[in-house]
Amino acid sequence: MSHELRTPLNAILGYTELILDNIYGEVGEKVRDVLGRLEKSGRHLLALINDVLDLSKIEAGQLTLALAEYSMADVVQTVVTAVEALAAEKHLALKVAVAPDLPLGRGDERRIGQVLLNLVGNAIKFTEVGEVRVEVSASDGAFRVAVADTGPGIAPEDQAKIFEEFQQVDSSSTRKKGGTGLGLSIAKRIVEMHRGRIWVESSPGKGSTFCFTLPVRVE
Amino acid sequence: MSKRILVIEDHEDNRRILRDLLTSAGYEPLEAVTGEEGVALAETHRPDLILMDIQLPGLDGYEATRRIKANPALRHIPIIAVTSYALSGDEVKAKAAGCDAYVTKPFSPRALLAKVREFLPQG
Repeated sequence: MSHELRTPLNAILGYTELILDNIYGEVGEKVRDVLGRLEKSGRHLLALINDVLDLSKIEAGQLTLALAEYSMADVVQTVVTAVEALAAEKHLALKVAVAPDLPLGRGDERRIGQVLLNLVGNAIKFTEVGEVRVEVSASDGAFRVAVADTGPGIAPEDQAKIFEEFQQVDSSSTRKKGGTGLGLSIAKRIVEMHRGRIWVESSPGKGSTFCFTLPVRVE
Repeated sequence: MSKRILVIEDHEDNRRILRDLLTSAGYEPLEAVTGEEGVALAETHRPDLILMDIQLPGLDGYEATRRIKANPALRHIPIIAVTSYALSGDEVKAKAAGCDAYVTKPFSPRALLAKVREFLPQG
């Protein structure tokens, strides 16, 4: 089903990009502006489709982890590279502290990257001033990953809710920030499939720190 | 003479997007709709590069890649696999089949063109 849903959207996004790149002739400012909006909405829809499909797969028990050896430092590096531009655009410092000599992990590298990308992406999205800090360490056979931001923080009563489907703290922010409202619940499920734990430490006005732990080797 | 790129892709819109993209960048696209047709075109036309969709009906992209790479006359042709985001492990399988690089769907034409240029700097 995933192929059927994404293929037409790929065509829409592909043609839009070609038009924006003047492949079909010079495009005027007004049309360019509208095409930019079309592209943005298309990408948002694609993100929603991806998330809904992931979640339905998880719920149907069809998401299986592709377990293999991976380097946690490489996962962090890939995610950081993917979001660097976003952080720079908002003039946020993106700091990374990965403990030296982390053990080689075993798990679903792509899914773990998806979790971290979600947390770091959220941190950048919801922080207007300051920094986003990623810290990774390992002890007692588990990785511990923390993503700390200097954003608005989350009230205690909202902290459990944000891991549920379609529950952003401020529902209008879903639209404004371009999120799907599904990322954290997917992250939670992926972490739990690895027999890890995910939680948030935060108080309003003092930023948020999202943490997760993963067994170093998932068998 | 412009460089020839064989596009093996069953979806019409994707073929058209690739055709328009490659033509505008100065390459000469050749098109195949099935894996069987793609392997046959590779043999008769000896393209400079192949863009291989993985999810093809019948002979899929992995098998088509294996057949092309098994032919000593075609082995040198770089193959870029176009894999689906949905199926994790695709990249590993694509490399195992002999693909030289991969891009994941949904591919951005811009990013795909950059990948093509890594192998063929000029159309």
